[in-house]
Amino acid sequence: MAEVQGIVNELATKLRKRKVEGSRETARLTAELFRTVISQQRVTSAALVEVVRDVGQQLIAANPVELAVGNIVRRVLRIIRDSDLSLEVGGLTLVPQGDDGDIVEEDDKPFMLSDAISQTILHQPSLVAQLESKPNLVRHFEGKADKTPRSWQFKHQIIEGVNDLIEDINTCHEQIADQALELIHQNEVILTLGHSRTVKKFLYAAKEKKRSFQVYVAEGAPKHLGHVLAKELAEKHLQTTVISDSSVFAIISRVNMVIVGVHAVMANGGVIAPVGMNMVALAAKKYAVPFVVVAGTHKLCPLFPNNPEVLLNDMRCPSELLSFGEFSDCMDYSIGSGAPLLNVVNPAFDYVPPELVSLFVTEIGGYHPSYIYRLISDYYSSEDLVLQQKPAS
Amino acid sequence: MWRRSASFILDNRTPNDVASASRPESLALSPPLQSSAMADADANSAYYQTRAAHHGVVTSDWLAQAQAAVGRNPDDLGSVVASEAEPKPASDSGKPFSVIEEFNNWRKQPDLAEAVAAIRALASVIMSSEATTMMELEIELKKASDSLKSWDKTSISLTAGCDLFMRFVTRTTALEYEDFNSAKSRLIERAEKFGEISTKARRIIAVLSQDFIFDGCTILVHGFSRVVLEVLKTAAQSKKLFRVFCTEGRPDRTGLRLSNELAKLDVPVKLLIDSAVAYTMDEVDMVFVGADGVVESGGIINMMGTYQIALVAHSMNKPVYVAAESYKFARLYPLDQKDMAPALRPIDFGVPIPSKVEVERSARDYTPPQYLTLLFTDLGVLTPSVVSDELIQLYL
Repeated sequence: MAEVQGIVNELATKLRKRKVEGSRETARLTAELFRTVISQQRVTSAALVEVVRDVGQQLIAANPVELAVGNIVRRVLRIIRDSDLSLEVGGLTLVPQGDDGDIVEEDDKPFMLSDAISQTILHQPSLVAQLESKPNLVRHFEGKADKTPRSWQFKHQIIEGVNDLIEDINTCHEQIADQALELIHQNEVILTLGHSRTVKKFLYAAKEKKRSFQVYVAEGAPKHLGHVLAKELAEKHLQTTVISDSSVFAIISRVNMVIVGVHAVMANGGVIAPVGMNMVALAAKKYAVPFVVVAGTHKLCPLFPNNPEVLLNDMRCPSELLSFGEFSDCMDYSIGSGAPLLNVVNPAFDYVPPELVSLFVTEIGGYHPSYIYRLISDYYSSEDLVLQQKPAS
Repeated sequence: MWRRSASFILDNRTPNDVASASRPESLALSPPLQSSAMADADANSAYYQTRAAHHGVVTSDWLAQAQAAVGRNPDDLGSVVASEAEPKPASDSGKPFSVIEEFNNWRKQPDLAEAVAAIRALASVIMSSEATTMMELEIELKKASDSLKSWDKTSISLTAGCDLFMRFVTRTTALEYEDFNSAKSRLIERAEKFGEISTKARRIIAVLSQDFIFDGCTILVHGFSRVVLEVLKTAAQSKKLFRVFCTEGRPDRTGLRLSNELAKLDVPVKLLIDSAVAYTMDEVDMVFVGADGVVESGGIINMMGTYQIALVAHSMNKPVYVAAESYKFARLYPLDQKDMAPALRPIDFGVPIPSKVEVERSARDYTPPQYLTLLFTDLGVLTPSVVSDELIQLYL
């Protein structure tokens, strides 16, 4: 138990100190951590859910802006609930319970739920679920004695599920890149901003399949990661042009398509992207240029953004914008009223609303922003949206 | 070549010959009209009258007008003034038990939603039924549900509630129950549980919407929705600082009633006339409305004026949030404003109007989904595209 807490603390510290770069790396580390945590537990499913939740809360608290952590926590919870359900349905008795927890009837024959109904009844509240009384599986499972072969099977299934998840995270770039050929045509001009590994692999794949196209890379101030991307693309013999963020509006009329990578995709189809992306999206909308977002499903967050510019933003060090030495007299707290006259704000992220996004390319295919809710109901369970146990009002 | 023809001149000639001319006439639907259709179009929507009665802003002229209408057209279906006149027994039910009476009894409670009242009425049909097989019971229920729906064609939540319950009945019979009585009791139990959903639904919606109300925000509200009131109450009780702009809500004066309630909660309120919405929209951070019904496209049917406000909000990039319970999801797909059963409402201008002047008396409009940002329902926060998914899962 103690060493589990130890590795959890290790990852939490890494997250807090922002030592982990990028949502994919974060997602992978989190998933691997959960694999270790789960394999060392010897508990029933309900308690396992609690353990995962608890660990999840610690990790999220370490870095609330890195939404991938929360996504992976909820994915793991969904895997646990799915394994629970499939074990029950697979040849074992299912005792449906009424809403008040009493056992309604004992059945000897297994109660087969169709896929659609099991999805709706057990994972999402829906009109269907309101009519049927939900069989309360997790609570029931707690009551049974821990039969060793069954609980071993249960854990085995969960570990398998988490392994699949890790595999998906590792291979998401390749699967997304496979779809490059359908999107990028001959002699196209593509615009991107900043440095996204997914976009890079996407463009490489198209280049390898002998498509000839040009790329405009907006540098992505203040980190100027666009310069790095431009260099890498040029090494692969792609015609590249570097532009500043401010000239996007001037260039956009010459561009056929905008392809970008993002930090997170929210439940309404909006995206959290590196700063400057909203400008690019608005320019693309104005000139009717398709705005394509490439993102792995580990970036898909089931939360709705309220006030995302503030709550989901990371304020970075202002020295990236202004060097302190030159402006130290304006930023002095000890003169005048005590508040500096010059403020420097360096947000890391931008929120792009769903109306501006044309297409999401994920490893499972291309989707319109209005379809995101479906992906969310496939990957997450609505009971896990709020991870903290708030006191019941 | 495609200029609009002045068909309203032709349309007006035929109904003027048929009906009495002393009341302001509504625009006829098509030239060949039967008098019963005419009576239907003129009949004031019972649903909106109940809402007005609940709000307690029934003026005496309105009452007199309504009473006169009852006296003049004896062949009106059902009772025109629900809470004032005697509830007339349903025309097709010869039994001493009338589902319509039962429904009216439930409906009079101001805190109870229409759909729940309908379901309770149907539950009492089951309780008083003498059927011995599921098939018989189903047929009885179908008849009762149809008579309820035809009694007030304009109420969407009534239709939706009946449909939901009938759907549940048909689904339950698919599962094997050897005992008819246990099936019957299960249906009744579910109907009763459904009643609890109504109050629970409002709490869930209020909790879900709290995150979207931030300190210092300005909310524009249109119409008097009990759900929206619950949302604002919860926000006020959790000590959030916000102010509310209420539209006056002619002719129901819903804004006056709402501002009363909000003043009791110490929330700063500002009343606007309906035409002042665009003028104040730039100060507004979000628009909150309820819904009489949520249609398949994800759009909503709500009090007249909602569409206008949504259009203005959309053009100024303000989010429009809808708070609606899930039993309001209806299997309708209006293609334009007139594509619904007309729901008319008497409008009192305060001065007598010459008889030749027509009055647009529709009580509601349809807001297409592209103008709505999010729907807060007891199923969670939904984007408009989710509504059709939910309906398909339930009905198909």
